[in-house]
Amino acid sequence: MSDDHMMVPVTQATPGMVLSDELLDNHGLVLLAKGAVLSEATIASLQRHQIEAVPVARVEAHRAPDEQAVVARLDHLFRQHDLGGDDDWAAKLLRRYVEDYRLERQVAP
Amino acid sequence: MTITSEELVQGLDDLPSLPAVVMELLGSIDQEDIDISVLARKVSADQALTAKTLRLANSSAFGLQVKATTIQQAMTYLGFQSTRNLILAAAMTGCFPSGRCPSFDDKAFWRLSIATAACARVLARHMRFNQDVAFTAGLLHGIGRLVLVTRFPEQYDAVLRERKRLDGDLQGTERAVLGVDHLLAGAALAEHWQFSGTMQQAIAFYHAPETPGAGFLATIVHVANAVAHALDLAGDADELVPAVSSVAWTALGLSEDVWLHVFRETELQFEEMTAILMA
Repeated sequence: MSDDHMMVPVTQATPGMVLSDELLDNHGLVLLAKGAVLSEATIASLQRHQIEAVPVARVEAHRAPDEQAVVARLDHLFRQHDLGGDDDWAAKLLRRYVEDYRLERQVAP
Repeated sequence: MTITSEELVQGLDDLPSLPAVVMELLGSIDQEDIDISVLARKVSADQALTAKTLRLANSSAFGLQVKATTIQQAMTYLGFQSTRNLILAAAMTGCFPSGRCPSFDDKAFWRLSIATAACARVLARHMRFNQDVAFTAGLLHGIGRLVLVTRFPEQYDAVLRERKRLDGDLQGTERAVLGVDHLLAGAALAEHWQFSGTMQQAIAFYHAPETPGAGFLATIVHVANAVAHALDLAGDADELVPAVSSVAWTALGLSEDVWLHVFRETELQFEEMTAILMA
């Protein structure tokens, strides 16, 4: 799956969403083509075909991560680890890497 | 209140049962002379299971160029082993109804299991380890918790409340309250279901992968589980990253840029698989 689409439960699908992949029914027949724009009618039809989730294109603009919130949450997740000392270094690395990942820092290969 | 290993094992037959065909698949793990077409037909008789399995097989994690539309086709494209693991994944998530243990969040449990499975699969690829085995082990690593919650719901509720109060580790609280932990319970179930030895070891030792004889699969599942917690994928407000074994971490030997790719891929596969498995 690429960054530009996500799976959305049919119950949360809204008219105007764009399919990022073709949609097959349980028998492998194409229900909707890639690029199709969902309407109330097509969403109802998906429900009748017992489709549970649909791949739709992401549209929201990319927002920079909130550094303070990310760090606060990671502090909470790792609250039982002794990240000040040297003994728990694997957890320390994991914590640092996840922080770099969440904050989209550039990492040298 | 202490549960003996005998009590634990005695109750395994009373566990909410899986569809018969899934039990057959579990029993066939190390079998060579299995009649694949017969199994494929049996699975196909269960429409919900078939649909879920095919959606998984056609998800981008497996990168099929041609969409599989029958179980038989999935077996042809992905191989019997991969398909069997997908069928198991589809059947397992959703079994074990809870309800008598209000503190147990089965959604969070399966989200964590799927995240661990996705990460284990990604790690296995980097380590040139069998990806299907890693996926299944990741998915089932916490199965002992389901045993305890199903067999001893009231007592397990006390475990979970105590754990919340102390904000301590789960295994320690289980031992203190019940006298057994979910690793022991998981190992008992894995043996009862005749999982392969490697799989049993991984379920029994994923918390302590440096144990002699634990096997490399236990290392992969250990780290994948820690990553799943650290990526906060279970959706649990009280999420807590467990101890990370430096031995296991070193054994994987991945550089930071590789880890960042692993995180990304884990999240993407997780998102896709939860949409399929938990719909």
